[in-house]
Amino acid sequence: MSSNTRTNRENDSAVAAADEIGGGHEPNSPQGRLKQVLMRQDVILLGVLIAMVAFFTSMNPLFLSTNSLANVLQDWAPVMLLAIGQTYVIITAGIDLSVGSTLGLAGVSGALIIRQLHESAVDPTVAIMLGLLTALVVGATVGLINGLLITRVKLAPFIATLATMGAGAGAILVLTKGVQIAGGPREVVTLGTTRVLGVLTIPLLIVIVILVIAWLVLEQTRFGRWNYAIGSNSFAARAAGINVDLHLIKVYMLSGLMAGFAGMFLYLRLGSGSPTSGSGYELTAIAAVVIGGTSLFGGSGKMSGTVLGAFITTSVLSGLILIGVGPYWQQVVVGVLIAIAVGMQQVGAGKLKRGATSA
Amino acid sequence: MVRMRTMVASAAAVGALALTAGCSAENATETTPSPGGDETPQQLTIGFVPGIASDPFFLAMQQGAEEHAAELGIELIWQGAPDEYSPQSQIPFVQSMITQQVDGLIVVPTDPDALQPSVDEAIAAGIPVATVDTTVTDQSGLVSHITGDNVDGGHLAGVTLAEQIGGSGQVFLMSGSPTATTNTLRQQGFEEALADYPDIELVGIEFANSQPATATSAVTATLIQYPDLAGIFAIDGTSGTGTAAALRNAGVAGDVAFIGYDAYENQVADLQEGVFSALIAQKPGEMAALALDFIVAAINGDTGTIEPNVVMENVVMTNENFAETSVFQYPN
Repeated sequence: MSSNTRTNRENDSAVAAADEIGGGHEPNSPQGRLKQVLMRQDVILLGVLIAMVAFFTSMNPLFLSTNSLANVLQDWAPVMLLAIGQTYVIITAGIDLSVGSTLGLAGVSGALIIRQLHESAVDPTVAIMLGLLTALVVGATVGLINGLLITRVKLAPFIATLATMGAGAGAILVLTKGVQIAGGPREVVTLGTTRVLGVLTIPLLIVIVILVIAWLVLEQTRFGRWNYAIGSNSFAARAAGINVDLHLIKVYMLSGLMAGFAGMFLYLRLGSGSPTSGSGYELTAIAAVVIGGTSLFGGSGKMSGTVLGAFITTSVLSGLILIGVGPYWQQVVVGVLIAIAVGMQQVGAGKLKRGATSA
Repeated sequence: MVRMRTMVASAAAVGALALTAGCSAENATETTPSPGGDETPQQLTIGFVPGIASDPFFLAMQQGAEEHAAELGIELIWQGAPDEYSPQSQIPFVQSMITQQVDGLIVVPTDPDALQPSVDEAIAAGIPVATVDTTVTDQSGLVSHITGDNVDGGHLAGVTLAEQIGGSGQVFLMSGSPTATTNTLRQQGFEEALADYPDIELVGIEFANSQPATATSAVTATLIQYPDLAGIFAIDGTSGTGTAAALRNAGVAGDVAFIGYDAYENQVADLQEGVFSALIAQKPGEMAALALDFIVAAINGDTGTIEPNVVMENVVMTNENFAETSVFQYPN
């Protein structure tokens, strides 16, 4: 952000400052406008993603086949769900490390309920809905605990969610003893993998609907503006009359809720709840958000960037398998990609800033 | 660090002394004060430290150990790291057993070198020690080491897969981790077995890194790349779950020969459904029971019945031989 924005933020109310962010500078010539569009973070990211897809496809055209795209989307969706919550959280200058273990906890809780109901001969649809409800309640509860630890006990988000991350991982082992929870009805996998619209399954359609809503709320509503305002300057936000604590609790609950749904998404794909399925997911989600251009210091960030970031981090696995890159190299490639994606945005942002000062 | 090294050296020295002294282990246990103080034989307490407490394989081992301990009338203390298979999380549990002055100790060493000092320390303290599944580098002080043979298990998987696909075709290995020794040994055995079949091509190896969804994605991509894939070996439970989901999603479950490892309940259910074509089952309960027998024999000075080195064979479980092999399913 330029010093111009910062002055605005200090003089005017925090809410007004939030509107300013992401708005950029008025372009004064068509050329300048084009340059500005090309230097925008999400446009750069889109370029990186297109280059990746083009590269994979040129090496192996099967990358763009229906089955391959469906596979990429199945990998993308749970990361996207976590990253939606994480985008909100990180914009408030927080972090949620607990989402991976919450995903696992919600997934095995839902799986246990569904197995129990299935064994009691409950209708599969009802069983799945109740399992989903369980997973969402578990997710929201962990989120609520995070929110209360942060706002009432005044723990730093990093510490609060580190604590619930560990406790969640332990709770998974208490519930499962480390054993996978299978034994649900056949309808579970049918629902999770049957494509109803092109490459989309019903859970994928729901993920897309959730994404659109979360996107609109962040960019178009007062809730979204408050989110930026709190991340920019929580004192100013408080002074402007925003109930910061309540807002933060809601945001961490949203993050937990997303993790809960992601847990069910994986359960529906695999047909079993795995005690380890969430481990490391929080880092993938945080990487997607950061690649997407959201600042870890809060106050700025866009859902469009997160969507692209999630695609970049998750399409790599299938892509590299299809072009025959050995597994030992895959993590190296992901690391290099993150550096390229973030680095190009930095260069772009620098050029924008220089362009703005010279104009 | 210096203190550590001194401790290791002295523990090793004492361990060596204890060995040359022969029956010092028995003396040590006999001098343990008995709370009752009467002449009836005191109930033996045996400590058992698994590699990790939260794993179906070790749960099966625990159940076997507890059942056999009840039969023998001994008290079993089963304690292990809750969620990490690593020496740094395991060593405190071994140390705690030594502090508790158990009469005998059974360990599943998570690392052959890192656990050596603790094992030596226990032996030096007069506690007879046996290792199960894995072992320590210097086995000279052990009562017995009973190992599951992961190379043999991988080899068995390779031969079974080769036979099921008629000795030719493309196969894929879905592994769990490039660093866990159980996985690398199984991989080694599998590749050695395939070397005898020139018409079988191993088209790829991927690692699930304990996320079943990663295995699903990797196998799905592999099936897209190699639509004629004849067989898959999933090296552990997590990669097995993920692979099974991928085969079901692609509608080729039952068409692709699919070997899994370990007879967990859900894997056995998938075997009966025809998703797995075979499972390589280990015998964790039997290993634990044998180790208890040997430790009790060592405490009682009944050394004649002890076999110092036992390699447990693996079992190939298929739908054809399920009547005979169903006993090897791990308890839930």
